[in-house]
Amino acid sequence: MPLGTLDRTAPPLFNQGPSALSKLILFSALAIFLMVADARFHLVQPIRSVVGTVLYPVQWLALKPVQMVLGGSKYFDDLQTAQRREEEARKALASQAERASQADAMAQDNARLRALLELRQTTLTPGRAAEVLYDAADPYSRKIIIDQGQTQGIVPGSPVIDADGVLGQVTLVNAFTSEVTLVIDRDLSIPVQNTRTGARSVAFGDATAHGAGMELRFMGANADLREGDLLATSGVDGVYPAGVPVARIDRIERRADSAFARIYCMPLATVSGARYVLVLAPVGQQALRPAPLSGDPLAVSKKKEKDKEKSDKAKGKGKGKAEKPTDKPSDKPADKAPEAAAPKPATQAAPQKPGAQQQSAPKPGAAAANKPEGRSP
Amino acid sequence: MIMRPGQQQLLLPLNPGFMWASLFVAMLLNMLPLGRIAWMPDLLALVIVFWGVHQPARVSIGIAFMFGLAMDVQQSALLGQHALSYTTLGFMATMIHRRLLWYPLFSQALQVLPLFALSHLIELGLRLIGGGVFPGWSVLLAPLIETALWPFATILLLAPQRRAPEPDANRPL
Repeated sequence: MPLGTLDRTAPPLFNQGPSALSKLILFSALAIFLMVADARFHLVQPIRSVVGTVLYPVQWLALKPVQMVLGGSKYFDDLQTAQRREEEARKALASQAERASQADAMAQDNARLRALLELRQTTLTPGRAAEVLYDAADPYSRKIIIDQGQTQGIVPGSPVIDADGVLGQVTLVNAFTSEVTLVIDRDLSIPVQNTRTGARSVAFGDATAHGAGMELRFMGANADLREGDLLATSGVDGVYPAGVPVARIDRIERRADSAFARIYCMPLATVSGARYVLVLAPVGQQALRPAPLSGDPLAVSKKKEKDKEKSDKAKGKGKGKAEKPTDKPSDKPADKAPEAAAPKPATQAAPQKPGAQQQSAPKPGAAAANKPEGRSP
Repeated sequence: MIMRPGQQQLLLPLNPGFMWASLFVAMLLNMLPLGRIAWMPDLLALVIVFWGVHQPARVSIGIAFMFGLAMDVQQSALLGQHALSYTTLGFMATMIHRRLLWYPLFSQALQVLPLFALSHLIELGLRLIGGGVFPGWSVLLAPLIETALWPFATILLLAPQRRAPEPDANRPL
């Protein structure tokens, strides 16, 4: 027996609107159109950001009770846990202090050596700290939401790292929040370099393999890889800065029937439960520093700098020709030093240049530095 | 209509504000950032089916579509995935609304199980076609939990309409 009601308003007899079936067809077609536009053509970014901005207060409201419970439970941590954590933090700080003091000296050495080898200077990447708000609820992908967005100057494509390594990449920027696709997501791939051998390859996310992991694809069965090898970003992509640790090789399966080995890696960053992350600016979007070598008209921004450099070059060339070749090395650092220092302020004002030359720039340096090491054992 | 005491109670007219508030609260509960849980029941789908069955003139398929879009954006899922699944749910609720209320509560729950199963199947199929990761077999639990929640949803959401028509000292509510 259906429930009777005291409702005395007469239901509309004739003005029923379109039938349920026609509504179903209309809205299903709309939904399918949206899905195709999202998955294939990536056209729905405006809709997402508009709906996301409208929903932001609701999301904020939904976040509060969870944050209160999580924050409230922290008050009841016992003293020993807190003391242990502080001790660990102090130990980590002490071990890092030693490395930090070495790093300054090494950075100077590196700059000098790069000038000697006439390599492009490495760029320093500015970063912005962000807090992880929550894991995206979608169980079919691996994404997190952070509390920095368009208003804080986050751009899509920015690499995101945490204390241990690369965590992922910003894939969607809303007004106040951003969405980060983790390295274990199936759609994310990172160009990496084996720090032991210097071999470059690409690591793909593989969320289904043993919880959460990554995979190194298209590596020959006879490739020089060992379990425990550290993979760091190679920097050839123009997105990630070079040399940030990504993953460690966990297991290698070499099969006789396949030309490729299956290589499973474990990401170093805490992909589940990270609290604070650092959003870096994509390397390709940073201002270019001119190469010490001239002959590249794009690299130099101001005429003054150009003229200065040309005159310097001319001097250098003249000297090189006139004097004996043995004098060259001693001559060069003196020549290059003002050049390397001078373009700094100029390039920050310079417009962004296409990343093509920059992408290729770190390559020879990295390869040159790594090859001898790889061959020697 | 022949009224038998204890068997049938006339419901008060629906307060539309309560209906919208319940939809909003269900969306809010769905948006609680509890992490990536495959078996999480979709409370918004449950409430949409409930009002689709009880008030088919008020909750239309278009409203279900709009709530679906909101869920897609919030979960950063494929845009249109929840919209399609909720549209289907709204349509199916309209289809069964004349039949369903003749049955007792637990039979009703059994009859809405295929609806929830279909909606989760649509989402799973769409995402696997779209290149998503298989979320694990616990995703099968979600429609079962939603079905189990149907009697509670009925008791809770019809409670304001079950109040006394004329409140007095003995029946203040």
